[in-house]
Amino acid sequence: MNTFVNQFSTSSALSVIRKAQALVDDDEEFSDAAWGSEAGFGNLAKGVPSFSVPAVHDPTAFLRLHTDDHADPNCRIKIQHGTTTLAFRFQGGVIVAVDSRATAGSYIASGTVKKVIEINPYLLGTMAGGAADCQYWETYLGIQCRLHELRNRERISVAAASKYLSNLVYSYKGMGLSMGTMICGWDKTGPAVFYVDSDGTRLKGDLFSVGSGSTFAYGVLDQGYRWDLTDEEAQELGRRSIYAAGHRDAFSGNTCNLYHVKEDGWRFLGNYDITKMHYEGPGDVPGSAKTGYGYDVRVEGRVSSAAPAVAS
Amino acid sequence: MECSFALTGKDYVIVAADTTAARSIVKMKGDEDKIKTLGPHLLMAYSGEPGDTVQFAEYVERNIRLYQIRNLYPLRPASAASWIRRSLADSLRSRSPYSVNLLLGGYDTAAQTPSLYWIDYLGTIATVPFACHGYGSYFALSLLDRYHNPEGSLEEGLETLKRCIDEVAKRLVVSPGKYKVKVVDKDGIREIEL
Amino acid sequence: MSSLNDVAGPQQRQFNPYTENGGTILAIAGTDFSVIAGDTRQSEGYNIQTRYAPKVFRLTDRAVLAVNGFAADGNMFVKKVKQRLEWYRHAHAKDMPLHAIARLIQTMLYARRFFPYYVYNILGGIEDDGSGAVYSFDPVGSYERETCRAAGAAQSLVQPFLDNQIYFKNQQPAPGTSFPAHLPLPIVLKLVIDSFTGATERHIEVGDGLEMYVVLAKGRDLSGLEGIVGLQELSTKSDGERIFVIRRELKKD
Repeated sequence: MNTFVNQFSTSSALSVIRKAQALVDDDEEFSDAAWGSEAGFGNLAKGVPSFSVPAVHDPTAFLRLHTDDHADPNCRIKIQHGTTTLAFRFQGGVIVAVDSRATAGSYIASGTVKKVIEINPYLLGTMAGGAADCQYWETYLGIQCRLHELRNRERISVAAASKYLSNLVYSYKGMGLSMGTMICGWDKTGPAVFYVDSDGTRLKGDLFSVGSGSTFAYGVLDQGYRWDLTDEEAQELGRRSIYAAGHRDAFSGNTCNLYHVKEDGWRFLGNYDITKMHYEGPGDVPGSAKTGYGYDVRVEGRVSSAAPAVAS
Repeated sequence: MECSFALTGKDYVIVAADTTAARSIVKMKGDEDKIKTLGPHLLMAYSGEPGDTVQFAEYVERNIRLYQIRNLYPLRPASAASWIRRSLADSLRSRSPYSVNLLLGGYDTAAQTPSLYWIDYLGTIATVPFACHGYGSYFALSLLDRYHNPEGSLEEGLETLKRCIDEVAKRLVVSPGKYKVKVVDKDGIREIEL
Repeated sequence: MSSLNDVAGPQQRQFNPYTENGGTILAIAGTDFSVIAGDTRQSEGYNIQTRYAPKVFRLTDRAVLAVNGFAADGNMFVKKVKQRLEWYRHAHAKDMPLHAIARLIQTMLYARRFFPYYVYNILGGIEDDGSGAVYSFDPVGSYERETCRAAGAAQSLVQPFLDNQIYFKNQQPAPGTSFPAHLPLPIVLKLVIDSFTGATERHIEVGDGLEMYVVLAKGRDLSGLEGIVGLQELSTKSDGERIFVIRRELKKD
């Protein structure tokens, strides 16, 4: 898929970057703004992103050679992969749940990653794919959302915010960005979830899961999902689905972070240890069954055999 | 894409397999039975390399039948599983190995115990309460972790199987259309229409 | 000349501006202090290039940056960060706060998203509220605040040890007691030294020398540092945060 895209887009994507750089009037790496209090958003000091690009014939091929894309485990620069994130819309708002594992090859680089990015009090973004890509561009999106508020005296809609991000990453298509994100929030239209990825796909929907563990999350999520779920049921479903992915997908795990978006903005509900959920459940939280989620824990003492137990 | 599921419940094993026979991008047949009856209380769902699958399944079928003719009693599921696994393992180390994945469901009448074995083309075997082969496993395993009940009635078991099939139909891009479902319990084997 | 090219046919060249120079860095945050450490060996493949190449750098009186990976990129990066911090000082007549340095590093790394610095950064120091902090980065700028982090060649040896000794992972507290959230300075220094002697024993790219930077919060006394051999102060003021460096030898084989 990637190679196909790159074949046709390398030169144009490069010209996009060069064009953007040309817009920054001086050729110096740092603009005058970086000196003082207008230091701005790093390389975006002038409002236009400017990136260093290697002086080679095909910068995209250069980047692909030195950063991993699953293909080559020996390459030097490891970009984090492997994740489970989910978000769904229901009667009571939006539930956002993610795991917290970051892997570099088979090494667990971190078990405490914040994969929910708090764009502003009404908008959440999730992180799958390149950690830096998601963190950086969703922070940048936050800046643009604030500017929208100041210019228009009203909050940006989730649709507009997600479209902004989608158009932005699409302008870098073929350059090697890797993100699969859900932009979640509440606006005039009510709860909203949009899936945006670095291919340029943008989908409106009720229920999404992204990442290597997403299929396992879907297995539990789809079966338990209804529009009229209560808040507690919905929160429990989010937790249970992330547990399922953490349990079945080796690249997901450690802990689950749970958020609930309502009319008055998002609320962080808690951090739940997946091993603990396996044996003891999520603890004393609304909606929980108060028993472990683990299969062996759940079916303890139950057997398929009808044979009378042999007295030993 | 090929999918097979199996799960145990109170005194039974359900084995289900999709019924499509595909070659390249063409669906050649829509009602292929990919579950062999190996004995009065033994079922085997097979999937994998076209050609290998049927050849190997028939090879197993005939040998298990031969055992029953020679000994006047059938091979018990545990022994059948061991023999089948070993056949695959030997095959793997031969010049032309079979690439066949299996789900073996049986009811041991002597021990009054239903049993399910997950076997892959490398000769890996696992005794499990539920199992899947194919892309369906990415969706169904977490679902079965959540919903499977080892003491469930046949109705509950079929309900859970239905969940798996529905989930795969919902999420898998190239999901199979129809499934053949068979049950083995103390009364033998029968086919069930979902 | 041109005829030679005609005969040679199409030529291909690979542009590879990266190498890996080994070594390991590590940082641990305490309640009112932070320790940032790194070994001083620099190698390429099986060759040791030098036994003293610092990987840990003082940025301000309350921020220390440890850089690991490709040494040339690392040195360049530290130079540029220091330059930006100096500019900030000229514009604002104060040092940049730690959390702001962390964000600055993110944007500086991400500016090279398509031509990355091959460096893993760990930033340690004192936050505005006086708490010890550690920030860890990936080569293109994703970052997170943590209590402790090891990076580099021996990260997979050191990090599990730290998980066990700092976060008390896989340990059960004695009945009626609980584990502390932060450890005292003397214990942390001992753990750092043990981490590096251990990594030196089992990793060929780690050894020669150890540099430990200690950053103390404003107004904190020197408890935990008294009697330490070779303690050297690097702070510019004595009434703000204070920085010290402790050097130790590691095995050289």
